[in-house]
Amino acid sequence: MNGVGFSAAAWSSLIPFSSSSSSSWVSQKKLVRPKALNRAFTSDPYVLELAETLEESIPSTPSTPLPLHNLRNASSQSLLSTPWPSRRDEPFRFTDLSFIRQSRILPLSHPSPVKILTSHLPPTVYVGPLSALSSSSLLHTVSQYLPHTFPDADLFWSINGIAAPDLTLVYVPENCHLQDPIHFHYTPPQPPTTHPSDTMYLSNPRVLVVLEKGARAHITEDFSSEQGNDNGRYWSNAAFEAVIGEGAKLSHSYVQTQSFHAAHTKWTSVRQDSFSAYELTEVSAGGKLGRHNLRIQQLGPDTVTELSSLHLSVGEQTQDLHSTLVLDHPRGYSRQLHKCIVAHSQGQAVFDGNIKVNRYVYALVLQYVNEMHSVQSIERLRYAQQTDAGQLTRSLLLEPRATVNVKPNLQIVADDVKCSHGAAISDLEESQLLYFQARGIDQNTARRVLIFAFGGEVIDKFPSSSIRDRVRSHIKNLLDPSSN
Amino acid sequence: MALSLPTHSSRSLLPLPPSTKPTFPTLRRLNHRVSLVTASIPLLQVNDLRAKIVESNVPILHGVNLTVNQGEVHAIMGKNGSGKSTFAKVLVGHPDYEVTGGSVVFKGENLLEMEPEERSLSGLFMSFQSPVEIPGVSNNDFLVMAYNARRKKLGLPELGPLECISYLMKKLELVNMKPDFLNRNVNGGFSGGERKRNEILQLAVLGADLAILDEIDSGLDVDALKDVASAVNQILTPQNSLMMITHYRRILDLLKPTHVHVMDKGKIARSGDISMVETIEAEGYETVSTST
Repeated sequence: MNGVGFSAAAWSSLIPFSSSSSSSWVSQKKLVRPKALNRAFTSDPYVLELAETLEESIPSTPSTPLPLHNLRNASSQSLLSTPWPSRRDEPFRFTDLSFIRQSRILPLSHPSPVKILTSHLPPTVYVGPLSALSSSSLLHTVSQYLPHTFPDADLFWSINGIAAPDLTLVYVPENCHLQDPIHFHYTPPQPPTTHPSDTMYLSNPRVLVVLEKGARAHITEDFSSEQGNDNGRYWSNAAFEAVIGEGAKLSHSYVQTQSFHAAHTKWTSVRQDSFSAYELTEVSAGGKLGRHNLRIQQLGPDTVTELSSLHLSVGEQTQDLHSTLVLDHPRGYSRQLHKCIVAHSQGQAVFDGNIKVNRYVYALVLQYVNEMHSVQSIERLRYAQQTDAGQLTRSLLLEPRATVNVKPNLQIVADDVKCSHGAAISDLEESQLLYFQARGIDQNTARRVLIFAFGGEVIDKFPSSSIRDRVRSHIKNLLDPSSN
Repeated sequence: MALSLPTHSSRSLLPLPPSTKPTFPTLRRLNHRVSLVTASIPLLQVNDLRAKIVESNVPILHGVNLTVNQGEVHAIMGKNGSGKSTFAKVLVGHPDYEVTGGSVVFKGENLLEMEPEERSLSGLFMSFQSPVEIPGVSNNDFLVMAYNARRKKLGLPELGPLECISYLMKKLELVNMKPDFLNRNVNGGFSGGERKRNEILQLAVLGADLAILDEIDSGLDVDALKDVASAVNQILTPQNSLMMITHYRRILDLLKPTHVHVMDKGKIARSGDISMVETIEAEGYETVSTST
């Protein structure tokens, strides 16, 4: 697998970026564009206090694995200059975080919020907490990937970085194909029986997946609320990182059906080496706020990336997907489908889907002259040609005043690329409803079937039939509580 | 709105098993003449029907008069834009059109007061000229849902998808389609011919007292047209009536209309029998519409 240090990503700040994209939001409500920001680089006292509370909750012992130690240091550094996001920050323009901010945040010192359900793992595969890892060579491998930072890493990425009590590692060695899926069940923070109502308990699960050359795995992340705990007021701030080696393939399922009073912030950061494939299927329907930050970075050519998300707001909820796909190498193929259903007048969906197709990447080249000297130069390479990127977002607004803010945006700097994007916002099609009615099916039944069919397109993509069935019935219940 | 159960024999509403008798249109004609005598009230009575497009307020129908009795086969012809398809859509309650005058009585009930699904359940079927695609809903689920809505209306217990399979399979044979047709999404990626066959499949599954076929023949090749016509001939009994909208003679030769109408400028300009088709073919709609 490539070292990350000399990859394109490391030089992305050198890219002379001229963007051809328009940053116009497709919005159902008329909103005034905020003025340009002067991001304050001074510390935010609130963030510092939060960071302190979080640091204190984590025991830092000499036994803390080095990569985790480094991660905490780097995250702590970045928190010094990261303010709490406001609505004036573009990435949070439509996402109201005030109910988190107004709460008293208390970290829960879970031993591990991640429950691993898996079976029949070959002995060379490691799935478990980093703290329990005994192999020093594997620890060294992990150190290569941690800590990882990128231009749009935000406060929540760093908060997870300092507060993750441990890290769940999935390591799949070269050419190893895992047959059974690895299932992570994230336990929501269980607050003590008596606690003040303004308190929000925070958990920071973190997962790192390393697939070596030619490896294959299927990972399911399941953030579902426990039975009988549908009113929990908690904050899950999760981070999932994957490094997919040359020719490797990761299939990733992510289901979020947490409590309607919870905050769910989630990072998914994926680095894809040449000829690798990454498939994500996401269904998010829980939380008062669900925010998914998804970032895919190409490390080599000929990658395949398929992203499908279904977001559902049936209550006073915001479901937010911010995705960035950075294509710096030739012949990247990507397809993204975002669908959302807003079925409540106070419900909202937000989608910012950014695809960057870069033309040039600047590489640092060291030329050997003699033992004492080398010539250092920066060379401009033509990259990211023959990219094929497609993106589609479709929104279904079922109630008056239901809101969606979608911003599919392509930033294309290469010239030989095929990119398409589209956005559609609508109620159900009249012609489809009539077709049902004309065959004797009443309008309510027809609506129910059509709404479900709209979401079904994404649900059908889950590779595991048990996940498919479970999500299907959950979504059916949310859309039509009377059905059982 | 309360709806009485079909006044006609429920046989016509309850989809019948595929007929075992050979498809022989003339036989059907003989039969229907018998039933024609017994029909006491018209199946469909349209009086001075006027309608406009909701969005643009453009009036399309300017007083249509038509009576269809049990067992009759009507063909409505006319040039493009004469209002043929609008007439059919207004009858099934298409929301794009608003009725501005006149009356429609179907089986003794005021059709215009019914919701589209009530019109369907009371025995009115229209095949869509361009049936819409419904992604995410399989043909099988759709047919089971529609069939159960019909059964519920008749006071019969609803059937599970498995119980419906053998019934649906027989109907598939009737339109000469393969079973995997059921697994595909409704009209999803269907060719023009497949969409038309699918409409007839729905007619076969649901049955109808009056089936309106809106240009069922357009876009069909000769073989597909024969399949469709033979299916229609098998589905319809002497008690059922048929109203087809068409531009072409081919389907008329196969389905043998008892009445032929020419529509012009939102009205039925002339009515006659099959012999009128010869005149239309020879002299065009203009001559036929204007001569009385």
